[in-house]
Formats: sequence, structure tokens, C-alpha cells
Amino acid sequence: MPHELSSAAGFEGVPEELIGHHFSSLGRQTEAMRLGMWLFLATEVLLFAGLFCGYAVYRFQFPLAFQESSRHLNISLGTLNTLVLITSSFTVAMAIHYARTDKPRAAALCLILTILFALGFLGIKAVEYAEHFREHALPGKYYAAEAVKVPGAAMFYTMYFLMTGLHGVHVIAGMSVLSYILWRTLQGRYSSRYSVGIELGGLYWHLVDLVWIFLYPLLYLI
Amino acid sequence: MAESALPAKELHQPEEHGGRHSAVPYFVVWIALLGFTALTYFTGTAHLGPWALAIALCIAVIKSGMVALVFMHLKDSSGATRLVFATSLVFMALLLFFTVADVATRFRLATPAGSPFGTERSQPAGLLEHELPEEE
Amino acid sequence: MRLSESDSSALAGAQRHLSYLEDGTTVMSWLNTRDHKRIGVMFLAAVLFFFFIGGVFALALRMKLLQPGPFLMDALSYNRLFTLHGVVMIFLFLIPAIPSAFGNFVLPLMIGARDVAFPRLNLASFYIYLAGAAIAIFGMVHGGADTGWTFYTPYSSTTPTQVLPILLGAFVVGFSSILTGLNFIVTVHTLRAPGLSWMRLPLFVWGIYATSIIQILATPVLGITLLIVAVERVAGFGMFDPARGGDPVLFQHMFWFYSHPAVYIMILPGMGVISETVCAYSRKNAFGYKAIALSSLGIAFVGFFTWGHHMFVSGQSTFNAGAFGILSMIVGIFTAVKVFNWVGILYRGAIAFRTPFAYICGFLYFLVFGGMTGVALATTSLDIHWHDTYFVIAHFHFIMVGASMMAFLAGLHYWFPKMFGKTYPEGWGLVAASLIILGFNATFIPQFLLGNFGMPRRYYQYPEQFQALNVASTAGATLLGFGLLIILIYLFIALRWGPRCEANPWGSKGFEWMTDSPPTTHNFDEIPTITQMPHDYRTHEAPGVIGAA
Repeated sequence: MPHELSSAAGFEGVPEELIGHHFSSLGRQTEAMRLGMWLFLATEVLLFAGLFCGYAVYRFQFPLAFQESSRHLNISLGTLNTLVLITSSFTVAMAIHYARTDKPRAAALCLILTILFALGFLGIKAVEYAEHFREHALPGKYYAAEAVKVPGAAMFYTMYFLMTGLHGVHVIAGMSVLSYILWRTLQGRYSSRYSVGIELGGLYWHLVDLVWIFLYPLLYLI
Repeated sequence: MAESALPAKELHQPEEHGGRHSAVPYFVVWIALLGFTALTYFTGTAHLGPWALAIALCIAVIKSGMVALVFMHLKDSSGATRLVFATSLVFMALLLFFTVADVATRFRLATPAGSPFGTERSQPAGLLEHELPEEE
Repeated sequence: MRLSESDSSALAGAQRHLSYLEDGTTVMSWLNTRDHKRIGVMFLAAVLFFFFIGGVFALALRMKLLQPGPFLMDALSYNRLFTLHGVVMIFLFLIPAIPSAFGNFVLPLMIGARDVAFPRLNLASFYIYLAGAAIAIFGMVHGGADTGWTFYTPYSSTTPTQVLPILLGAFVVGFSSILTGLNFIVTVHTLRAPGLSWMRLPLFVWGIYATSIIQILATPVLGITLLIVAVERVAGFGMFDPARGGDPVLFQHMFWFYSHPAVYIMILPGMGVISETVCAYSRKNAFGYKAIALSSLGIAFVGFFTWGHHMFVSGQSTFNAGAFGILSMIVGIFTAVKVFNWVGILYRGAIAFRTPFAYICGFLYFLVFGGMTGVALATTSLDIHWHDTYFVIAHFHFIMVGASMMAFLAGLHYWFPKMFGKTYPEGWGLVAASLIILGFNATFIPQFLLGNFGMPRRYYQYPEQFQALNVASTAGATLLGFGLLIILIYLFIALRWGPRCEANPWGSKGFEWMTDSPPTTHNFDEIPTITQMPHDYRTHEAPGVIGAA
């Protein structure tokens, strides 16, 4: 799809609709977009921080209950999910690499793989959730699991569902972002001259992975 | 037009680094991440008692450090973006510190239902003989 | 002012261009604008509207409090009113007011930029604010919550009143706050004009920058906290349910982690306005520029370390109480630094006693006394007596109304000519300012006394011996409201029929005054190079100035 390329000073060769003319150059604009994205990621870190805070408090108060309940999570599926997300981070990093080295088709393929991995993550999570529902290992007042009947087990599952639930919402949001940049990649928007859009999308996906890197040991491995 | 006296950092433009932009660091980090995941799996399932949390968090920090520095290009980024990320982590730590410190230093009677009551952790030091809780 | 030749002629050329107000006159051109100035004006209109609504709630409350027993409304309605008064004033007025209205308008002008870093995000931020406000209004129309604006659990997760829309409204408005802060931080980092180093930034920019840091770091924690309460209401499970081992004090920790820095969101921009106006109306350079600039950052960071002083009697540990008490005293130091420096600016200045200056006087007086009562409240042993009494209410109203609102009014009058190219009637301005300052004193000084005598806050009924002071407070509130109404009237009249003014009626050396009043859409024909100091009032006759930065 042909884009009208700019000839404005500092923005030569970049599609016109991608330029903010209040910036003095593409370098400035790129720097601004990256800083903006990292600020947004900082807010996401603080969002999850609230849940990590709750986890820390209740784990401190109910250590045995948390340990016991954690043993009843499906550690194989949890580990598999970790490997899936890590690999998806790798594929999205590769997608950006290919975009920057003018290989849009390889980039698109990597993005598709990333999205498939994300779907896989959600699928595995769905299997786990189904298991929890079957066992009545549910949060708060709905907790009725036979296996662990220690005070605090209900709170473990409250934290588990809140944390993995919020993370799952971000996986879905991340998939939307990935789909958008996949669409733009197929349109030929990204190249060695301009790739900041796909970078920013990748950054969001990496954050989703970062959160899971902490969720995994805290929920499955204690 | 007046040129900026504060030059924009032309960050990771592959052509300007003189040479092909390499994908090797990504492969290396990916393999390392898989390796550390295996490590945390094995140390986690070994249930190392009080060390478990510390070890697990250390490994998680190393993994996330690699993702942040290499996959997210933090090591090539401007100081401002690095400061932003570091600050968010510091403030998360602040939130956790004072909140956990609260529950850790409260009187025994102020802890909520179902929490360790009369166990070693919640017993203050120096209780007199007749004040010790009865053994269940 | 060291503008180059070409810049001067560029400015002259700008006279021929349309101002931002004239450039597109359809409704769509406003609703779909990317222009930070138009977005600022729209925010101004919105926050003034919600200020009015919050004020109506306040006056209704004060009417009820004329009588110690049941009067005018039942207890539940009273609870709803004080909740909504707090929610509207804090989330829909104080937090967005100066940053989103004046910050949006003035900050890019002050740094020599054509717009903020992300203009479309800026517009989105406005619509997100409106959406959040709409959700909250929906809740209000259906009765509103009765939990107090602090939504303490477990009451907020179990009360049958309309808590959910209020929670969600606050959550959505929080996004607007985050995006505004994000935009400003990136703008200051990447769009400063050539030559404009950090230590030449106008003090208002420092204030907004520090505010934006708080908005980024604190607001998400409020977001997750409110979200969890919402989940608890809807889905029946939550982190704070005591029956399942949950800890209501945990809610308070997470809530105040945001809400204490939030009060600094509410005051820091106001302090920035005061820095600008103090320099302009005493025609002096900023005494202790670096101290004022860096103390803004100090307040922003240290403000995060103090939240537990809201929880001295809630059951947190003694260790925490002690730590937070000491840290809360430390944060007062930065404000004191600013006050001393502002007084240093006023000293031997050529004072022009205009309406903004009247508000500066009010601000300094109320900030000092309100701030000192804050330090007193930070003393744990004293707070045992004062917590949840009218003493606390008086303290924070001294800061939020006496300081923050007056700074807002100072900014409104200072920048009115810049924004609209019209002047307001100075006489009426001073009359309104006098009524407001008088009315404010009459409203809230009795409340300090009431609190000290032990009258609890959020109580529908009170002992008879407190009636006299309550009546005095209500009378003051009415006077205060009347003064504010006068402002509304004369500003509207000035806007529609007022005389046109010159580009810089105050003779201010602020960088934003280098442009036209009102500015053109793109602010500058050519981006200026800014190498002079901010607030530089030195002249050939008086080249040496006390405390020049």
C-alpha cells in the first residue's frame, strides 16, 4: 500500500501520517514515543504492585495455607505456560528485529507465532481454571475444596484468581495490540527507517511476560 | 530552523551501528531464560524451606532483567527510560515494605481470623511462664 | 529579553494569523481538536462545572448542620452528600484542575513548543475524564454512595448504595489523570526549545512535572484498589473480607498509598502557579529558584513515604505509626523551603496588588497555617484525639480550599488575558477575593475549634453545645459561595463583552507571555531559542537582584 512519504526536514522518507510536526525530528519523536511507552509500563507495574502487596501480606499471615494450596496447583501446566510466554517474548523480539532489517514477511510470521503462543497460554490457563472449578478451589466465600481445609486457603485462591485474572486481561489486551501491529506490518508500515510502532507493541507484550515471570514462582513454586 | 541544542539520541538505528543488526543476543537470552526456568522449577519443587522464596525471587529478577535489558532494549535506551522503569520498581518495593512491615510488627491480637495464633512467629520474645499459650 | 531579530518579526507576523479561538468555529472543530489550548479550555469549563456541583453539595451539608438534630434531610442522605462532595471535589475538580486546564494551556507555551508530545492522547484524556464523570453522575443520580470518599472496607463492599458507579467513575477518571501526567513528562523531556535547559525551566513547569510523576506512580495503585472493591461487590470475593481472613487495614494501606500523594497532586501545581504569580506581581526574579524547583521533586517523592498518618488509629503497628509520623514531618520541610523563598521574592519587590496577588496573600496565609496543623496532626499522640474530627477537616480544607483553590483562582485571573485576550474587572476581582478570604476564615476556623472540642466528622447529629460554631461555619460557607459566584459572573461577562487587552497586560517575564494573547493555533511561527533565565525582571537600572538564580 503506497504511503505518501514526507520530505520535511528531519523526517525524510517517513510516511506522512506517522509524523508529529511539533517534533523537530524523527529521532525526537521516537524518543518521545519510547519514553511515553515506558511511563505507561511503569503504571502497569504499579497496578500489579497492589496485587503483589496483597499476596505478600496474606502469604505472611497464612504461610502454611499458601504452601498447601500452592502444591495443589498444576505445576506442569504452570511451567508449560511459563515456557510458552518466554518463547512468545522471543518471537516478538524477533519480529521487531525482522521489521528493523526490512524483512516484513518474517516479521509478520513471528507476530503470528506470538499471537498463537498467547492463545496457547490462555488455553492452558482455561484448562487450569476448569480444574479449579471442578475441585471447588475458588476464591473467598466460594472456596469448598476438599484437599486443603486450612484457614487462609480461600485467601490463596482469591489472590490466585485476582492475579492470574488481571494478568489474563493483559494477555488479551496484548493480543489485541499484537494483532494491530501485525495488521500494520502486513501493510508495510515498518522498515529500517521507521519501526517504533512495532517496538512499542513489543514492549507491552514483554511486560505481560515480565509479570508472569514473577507470578509463576510466587503461585506455583512456594 | 534553529537546530536543537539538545540532540536526540539516535538510539539503536541498525545502520548507524556499522554492521548488521544481529539476532544472536535474542537467541542467547531465550535459551538462558529456558535454562533459568528449569532452574527455578527444580529449586522450587525441592522445597528448600526459608530459602525458597529468596532463591525464587533472585532467579525471577535475573530472568526479568534479561527480558528488560535485551528484549526490551533497556540497555540501549536513554537514561530517562531506565530511570522510569527503576523508579516504578522502587515504589512497588516501598508499597510492599511498609504494608508487610505493618502486619509483621503488629501485636498478636491484632492479626485477623485464621492467622497463626500462638505459633512461634506470633509470639513476642520474653513471655513469662504463665503467659505462654497452651500447647494444642 | 534576548529574542533574535527573526523571532521578533515572526511574532509580529503572527499578529496577522488567527488566534486559536478563531481558527475553526464549528462545534466539531472544538470536539475534534488536537490543540492543547482548546483542550485546556474545555477542561477548564468541565472542572469549573464540577467545582460548582461539589460546592452545591457542600452548601447542602452545611445547611443541615445548622441544626444539631434531624433537619432538612435524613441521615443516609447526609452520608451520600458528604461522600459525593468529597468524590466530586477531589476526583473531578482538584486533581485535574490546574494540570489539565492551565497546565495544558500554558506548559507548551512556557517551553517553546507547538503542542504537547501526544496531542491526540491529550484529547483522549479529556474524553476519558468526561466518561468517568458521566459514570459517577449516573451513580449520583441513583443516590450515590454513602461510604465517604475514602470507601473503607468492609462497609464499601457490603453497603447497598450505589458504590459501584462511583468507584468505576473514579477508576476511569484516574486513567485521564495518568495520561495527562504521561503527556507532560514526555513533553518536558523532549519538546523543550533549543537552549532551554532544565535549570531554566519556569517554576510552573517544575510544579507540573513533579505532579506528573506522582500521577504516574500513585494513580495505578488506586486503580487496582478500587477495582478489587468493585470485584468484591459484584463477584462476592475479595481481598478485604475479614470473614475469609482478609484485612480491612490492607485496603487502607493501598488506598492511602495513592491518596496521600494525591493531595500533593492537588497542591503542587498550585505552588507552581504561586511561584509564577509571586514573581510577576512583585516584579522580581525567583529567590532560591533551585530550591523551589527541587523542593517540588522532594515533595513528590517524600510524599509517598507518609501515607500511614491517615491510619494512626486504624490498627496498624506501632512501628509503622512511628515511622510514618516522622516521615510526615519531614515532608513538611519542602513546603517550608518554598514558603521562605516566596517570601524572599516578595521582599523589596515592586508589588502590584492585583486580584491574583490577593489570592497569593490568601494562599500563603492558609498554606502556612494549614500546613502547620498538618505537622501537628502527624504527631501520633495528638492525632489520637483529633482523628476523624473536624480538626482534620479544617486542616485539609485549609490546604485544599485555602491554598489549592486560591492558587487556582490566582492562575485563572493571571492567565485569563492570555487565554481569552480579555481583561476581567479588577475592582470586582478584589471584592470577590475579599469575600472569599473572609468567608473561608469564617467557615473553617470554627471547624478547628469544633474538632478540638471533639466533634466527629461525618456525623449527622451533634451535641447542642456545638451549634453556635456550626452556624458560624455555615454562614462563612455561604459567604464563600457568594464570593465564588461573583467570580463566575464577572468572568463570564468579561469573556463575552469585556475589553480586548494587549498581549502582556501584566508585563510578566514568563515565557508564555512571549506569544500573542490569545496565542495562534501553532503558538510560534518559528520555535524560539530560549537562553534567558526564567522570571527575569532585572533591568539596566537594577541589574543586581537579591537571590538571582
